[in-house]
Amino acid sequence: MVVKIRLARFGRVNEPFYNIVVAHARTARNSRPLEVIGTYDPIPKKDTYDNSGKLHKDIKLDTLRAKYWIGVGAQPTDVVWRLLSMVGILEPKYRPAPPKPRSLPPKPDATGTPSEKTTS
Amino acid sequence: MREWMQEKGEQFREHQRDGPNYVTGYQDKPFPSNPLFVSEPVLSEESREEIWRKVVQEGEAIKSVSANFGVDMRRVAAVVRLKEVEKAWEREGKKLATPYARAVMSMLPKKTLSKYREFEPINEIHVHSYTQQQLFLPTSESRHFTREDAAKAFGDRILPADKRVPHPELIALEKELLAGTSPEEAQAAFEKAAMESEVAAAEKDQKRRQQEEEQTTRVPASRFEFRFKEINVDDGGKDGRSRRGTGWRYGVPFYDRRRGEVKIPTKVE
Repeated sequence: MVVKIRLARFGRVNEPFYNIVVAHARTARNSRPLEVIGTYDPIPKKDTYDNSGKLHKDIKLDTLRAKYWIGVGAQPTDVVWRLLSMVGILEPKYRPAPPKPRSLPPKPDATGTPSEKTTS
Repeated sequence: MREWMQEKGEQFREHQRDGPNYVTGYQDKPFPSNPLFVSEPVLSEESREEIWRKVVQEGEAIKSVSANFGVDMRRVAAVVRLKEVEKAWEREGKKLATPYARAVMSMLPKKTLSKYREFEPINEIHVHSYTQQQLFLPTSESRHFTREDAAKAFGDRILPADKRVPHPELIALEKELLAGTSPEEAQAAFEKAAMESEVAAAEKDQKRRQQEEEQTTRVPASRFEFRFKEINVDDGGKDGRSRRGTGWRYGVPFYDRRRGEVKIPTKVE
């Protein structure tokens, strides 16, 4: 059976909190996993005495165990892949596409539409 | 009721004098049918200013300010913190609700600081629940049974009273005075010890923060900074159900919203 590294949602309504778990793919989301290797708190937080308005997200992770499970073939889900790639355990899967040179849409004639309205 | 309001109650319609004006006529008992309730005096405005000045401007240790004025250490720290907020607001040009504060203060029993009369008891020991049990411990008569031994008898991790007291420096001060040191010297030694203990506490805290920082990787990504803190899976114990483990626990009820649980913050970070 496939072993996955995925998130298990705990917390409350509108107050999500995730355990980063290693579990068999076919087991229920919140069932007892093989191992809890960390947590992910998706709600952005402020530092106590910081007035700059910068926000951060807290993640706890046992990197050694994460590396081990990757090494033995556990498959991270996309979200976990993104988190693990941030600490350099995996290559990033999705890279932000280079910004395309934007061609502006043709400007509608400034006098066109309003003049129509006024005439009708 | 109306009769009372017209005769005796008239004096309570407007607050006239400085200090409390309770229905009971006593200075410290606001509720006529509950004489056991005593309204405690608060620190006057000048006293709070004085505490702030001593700590921030003169750089005295919080412990020694606390001991000199007989104000609890936590109260001293809180006064300094709130005064700092007040000063910051003044610097920012925020408008303070001074008339409101003055009105409330004029209705409360107040106490002004003095070196000779303490504001509140400061050196009380918190009673550990382990020490409330009755304990019979047979020992030999010749044994010198100290407080350390008593603490050990109550539990392996119970500290003796001398170590749990908030101001152990005050005990040292009294001992020195008994030994015949001059009061000035003893006071100087006390101030030094208080400052040292405060510096040690600050250093310990600094070290803890640094250690935490070392275990954290900060990744600036998108709108937010992601902070990865290193943990150890084994903290959860053999069955993964220990309280020290990371994450939501499995098969254990989470009682954070149960009646009687404290749901408000209990400390300032």
